[in-house]
Formats: sequence, C-alpha cells, structure tokens
Amino acid sequence: MAESNGHSPLDQFKIAKLHELQVAGLDVSITNSTVVMVLAVVLVTLFLTMGVRRRSMVPGRWQAMAEMSYEFVGNMIRDNVGNEGRRFFPFIFTLFMFVLFGNLLGLVPYSFTFTSHLAVTAALAVLVIVLVTAVGLVLHGLHFFSFFVPKGVPIVMMPLMVPIEIISYLSRPVSLSIRLFANMMAGHTMMKVFAGFVVTLGAATYGVGAIAPLAMSVALTGFELLVAFLQAYVFTVLTCLYLNDAIHLH
Amino acid sequence: MSGFGQAFRIAAELVSSLLVGLGIGWGLDEWLGTKPWLLILFFFLGAAAGMLNVYRATKGYGLAVGYRKHGNDDDAQR
Repeated sequence: MAESNGHSPLDQFKIAKLHELQVAGLDVSITNSTVVMVLAVVLVTLFLTMGVRRRSMVPGRWQAMAEMSYEFVGNMIRDNVGNEGRRFFPFIFTLFMFVLFGNLLGLVPYSFTFTSHLAVTAALAVLVIVLVTAVGLVLHGLHFFSFFVPKGVPIVMMPLMVPIEIISYLSRPVSLSIRLFANMMAGHTMMKVFAGFVVTLGAATYGVGAIAPLAMSVALTGFELLVAFLQAYVFTVLTCLYLNDAIHLH
Repeated sequence: MSGFGQAFRIAAELVSSLLVGLGIGWGLDEWLGTKPWLLILFFFLGAAAGMLNVYRATKGYGLAVGYRKHGNDDDAQR
C-alpha cells in the first residue's frame, strides 16, 4: 500500500481528465467519471429499449429482466408512496437505474465507480431533496411547514423542537449521499487491499500465502455485487419515503 | 435490509445530523459574528436531531420528520 508507483488501493478513485474542456469559464473537462456516467446512461437505455423491442407475450430472458426492473421500482413506489407516487415513476426509475448501473459498472475491472465520489452522490441527493421539497410546497403550499412542528409537544418546547426538526430534515440529503458514497468507497478499497495481498503475500511465500487473500477477494466480489444492488435499492427506497412524507403531509 | 446495512444506516443518520448542525452553527457564526456561541448551540441541536433520527429509524417510524407514523393515526396521539 505504501508503494508510490500507482498501486495504492485509493488510486482507483482518482479523477483523470481525458479531454480538457472549458465552457464559460467552468471546467467541464471530460473525465473518466463522466465517461462511465455516459456509459451507464447508454447501457440503461440499450438494456430497456432492446429488452422491450420484441414485446412477446412470453418474455425472453432479456425482456424478463427489463420487465423485472420496471416492476421492482413500480412495486417499491406503490408500497412506499401509494398511488399518488405514480407520476414520479420516471424520476425514481431513472435514479434507481443510474445508481445501480454506476455501482455495477464500478465492479468491472479497470473501470471507475462514480458512485464512490461524494460529489456525485451529493448532487443526486440534493436533486432528490429539492424535488421532494418542491413537491411538498406545490401540493400543500405554506402548510408544508407544519412538517417541522411535531404534534403533542408542549408549546414551551417549540423553540427547541423546531430547530431540531429542521436540522433533522436537512440531514436527509447528507445521510443519503454519505451512505451511498461510503459504502461504495469502503467496498472497493477493501477489494483492492485484498487483491494487493494476493501479490505481496504470494510472492513472499512461494504462492502459499496467496490462497487466503484470493479466496477473500472472490468472496468480496460477490459481496460487492450484493452491496451494489442493496445501496441502489436503499437510495431509491429512501427517496420514496421522503416523497411519501411530502405528498402525505400529516 | 441486512444487519450490517441497518447499522450503517443508523450511523450515517447520527453523523449527518451532527454535521448539518455544525454547518449551520458555523455559517451563522460567520454571518453574525457571534463566534463560537452558535456553533456550540447548534452542535447540541444537531446531536439531538441525530439521536431523534436514530430513535425514529430504530422504532420503525421511517425517516419521517414528526412523530407520526404513516397510515396509523393512533400514533399521532402520542
């Protein structure tokens, strides 16, 4: 890990500029992160459009997968938001597929995990919270702010409780983004550390020492696959819960 | 959700509220020139909000602001 020749487990998180680009004084260079993001969008689009191209009554494997992802998000919205949540399906489905494909593409060797960057997850979380707040304000007007006034609390306690509720509300995007980014970053760092052990321990012990870290690497890859799905799911389900709060203001 | 995921979620909940509280306190201090009093005040408010969030998450209130559980009006009376 101490090697300085570019084999640190944290090297995978480096942003590399592939093409310098300046628009109106802003640095919008094309980086490895942008490339994977675009790739994720393209792959999701291909996955869905190609999947439903034939639209057979008895779906093939591909069509079944596309339909499954649709139903998965559809059920999630129905269970957590209810019928009013239906019109947010495109947004939530896009969010889910984007995060999921970002997580999964990161598992491909030599690829880049854009969801392991706080800037990306924070931007997504801010988008979610701004949308949810806007939905609440549009649907309920100023009544939305009754959200911050807990019921059954004596009036004397209000100066204390209202700021706490507001902080609690503002902490949502923070915890939403930290959860996804930290999970992805920790998992990928761990994978690289154990993969590094395969080489260093193996070289030191004529290959015998490589067995345990190699087995661990295999196990971790499987585990990371689970985490990739789980974190995409958690991110989306929490978005649904926040949306539910904003729509069904008590 | 797995036990690990649950634990991670609770931890993120606790830390993020504290961060937000500290951020607000620091920002207000910079703005109003009241260093360090608002930072201290909002540190405690943030910690309280974090604990409230953890309480709600573990009690199954979801992450709803307010004590009320959805679809169950009995809880509104507590």
